[in-house]
Amino acid sequence: MSYAIEIKELKKFYKGAWAPALDGLSLSIQKNTSVGLLGPNGAGKSTCINILCGLVSPDSGTAKVFGRDCTTDKIYIRSQIGVVPQQIALFSNLTAWENFRYIGRLYGLDENTINKRAQNLLDRLGLDKHADKRVGRYSGGMKRRANIIASLLHEPEMVILDEPTAGVDVQSRTLILDFLKEYKQQGHTILYTSHYMEEAEQICDEVVIVDEGKFVISGSPRELVANTVDCKKLEDVFLHYTGHSLRD
Amino acid sequence: MKKIFATIIKEWILMRRDVGGLMLLFLMPALLIVVMALVQDAPFKDYQELRFELLLADNDHGSLAEEITSGLKQSKNFKVIDSLDGKPLTDAKLQELLADGQYRVGIVIPKGATAEVVNAANHIANSIAGKLGMAAFPTRDIRDTSYVRMYFDPVSKPTFRMSISFALDKYVTYSCSNILVKRLSRMGKMDVDTSETADFKKIFQGIGIHEEQLGNRFASAKLINSVQHNVPAWAIFGMFFIVIPIAGHMIRERDERSTMRIELIPQAYRFVAMGKIIFFTLVCTLQFIFMFCIGLWFIPLVGLPALYLGAHPFTVLLVGIGIAYAATAYGYFVGAMFKTANQAMPFGAISTVILSAIGGIWVPADVLSPMMQKISFISPLRWGIDAINALILRNGDINDIWLHIIILLSFGTVLWFISIYKNARRYSSGQ
Repeated sequence: MSYAIEIKELKKFYKGAWAPALDGLSLSIQKNTSVGLLGPNGAGKSTCINILCGLVSPDSGTAKVFGRDCTTDKIYIRSQIGVVPQQIALFSNLTAWENFRYIGRLYGLDENTINKRAQNLLDRLGLDKHADKRVGRYSGGMKRRANIIASLLHEPEMVILDEPTAGVDVQSRTLILDFLKEYKQQGHTILYTSHYMEEAEQICDEVVIVDEGKFVISGSPRELVANTVDCKKLEDVFLHYTGHSLRD
Repeated sequence: MKKIFATIIKEWILMRRDVGGLMLLFLMPALLIVVMALVQDAPFKDYQELRFELLLADNDHGSLAEEITSGLKQSKNFKVIDSLDGKPLTDAKLQELLADGQYRVGIVIPKGATAEVVNAANHIANSIAGKLGMAAFPTRDIRDTSYVRMYFDPVSKPTFRMSISFALDKYVTYSCSNILVKRLSRMGKMDVDTSETADFKKIFQGIGIHEEQLGNRFASAKLINSVQHNVPAWAIFGMFFIVIPIAGHMIRERDERSTMRIELIPQAYRFVAMGKIIFFTLVCTLQFIFMFCIGLWFIPLVGLPALYLGAHPFTVLLVGIGIAYAATAYGYFVGAMFKTANQAMPFGAISTVILSAIGGIWVPADVLSPMMQKISFISPLRWGIDAINALILRNGDINDIWLHIIILLSFGTVLWFISIYKNARRYSSGQ
């Protein structure tokens, strides 16, 4: 079986932190699937993503993307993945077009390719009329959509989205989810983190619940609901496994 | 190369949108150099070109007083004031005017000063006459109260006092020599021109001190003046203030996570860093050129001499690029080392002021204490100003400044590598 992501016994402890961010996390994700990585605040989702894209080195354990080690094959891995960070990782004083042109150039794309791809994504994500405005003047939803476009310009094999719909209105969220469903149907792998369980139910083939840096359970949303006592929806399953205590 | 160029274009777009910031980047240092050149014009002229008003109370009216008065009046440095409202200055009035701070220096020639000099000359002549068996001149005991008195405004600098004292001493010595020679010639009935108009300065003109050029290279070299010191010095200072926009820019990009986006693009980070360094080095070099243009063409309009660029103006530009690179890399370093703008801004500003103070920007490094002179070599501003001075004051060439350029480039490169290392560590430590 070919995996897009393989993580084994991953541990990470940040200096000064009171608990490990990852405490022996293991999981694997098949190619061409969409997987939701769910967990409460501080569960280790963002650290896991940062290790996968080579921004953070693990203390121990291994993380592989498309069979390549995340600590040694960063260049290859980064060319194959598109990361949509939780924050709007764009230059706010540049227009969307200027951002895409710059980012595209840094990916080594030529002007025509950048224009073609960016125009296509702008159309699909409903930003074509606003592409000449500065990103800093966008609404929250527009910024999120521009953030997604910037991550997909190089047409990655896999896209990792860290809470891509946080703080956006229903219209933008619906548009983003529809776009991701369509993107998945094109045969791409999607790793998705969110606090919105209904989103995960909508777009994910499988969900992985993590808590306190450890793997808790995985399966398709439907299976998890069916196999967990007294659970009618994914949110019940999530609370069943992670508990009701606050994670401040 | 395309990635570097793309970064330069992006930085240019961002800078173009911040017109206010762009203006401040060029106009504030320009204003600084004009103001500093004007403010420091007088202190730099000091004892070279300034004409001081000097109070003179002549209670002697003899040849000594005449020698001193005419010497001072002939000097370009003094305007002698020996009377006020048609009345000769008195000792008391002179002291009163100095105490009020209206004048900087006053000289009182006491009554009988010439007689005292004549008496001293007679003593000397008599000691020679005694050995030769000749008749002696009448003498009396030497008094030690007839010396020429100098008074200074208390705020006068010691060097100013010293230079006035030296000048006066010279006139007194001439006068004494004159009188002594007259005594000797009268004693021996020699045929020496002892008339009152005899000019011993001419007789002794081949003896003494005369300033000479070091060589042809220095024929057109400029004496340091306010413009020659202040324009390059404050231009370098202003260039180093680019630390603030660069550090602020880096922290803002890190905060809005666009730096993270760059980090996620394979092999982009180093090209982006290079693009930023090249762009800001260019901006900084333009600042340097702009400020030197101010020195060349604007400064003369405010009544100061035009900046002299030495015999190799393009070598000055080379030094400017070296300084620009060091300043840019320092800004990059500050931006990399500090987490927030609140940390980076004060550090950037204050450290630039400190580096400039120890680097000979405020006052030439030569006047610093020996220990501070050694410390000053850690400041890139010292290497910058030394190189510029070698070119514009000593008419130096590339052979005189290549080491300075290498040090400036090395300083920048070391800081740049530390910054790249720090940025790489930042993510792995979860900051």
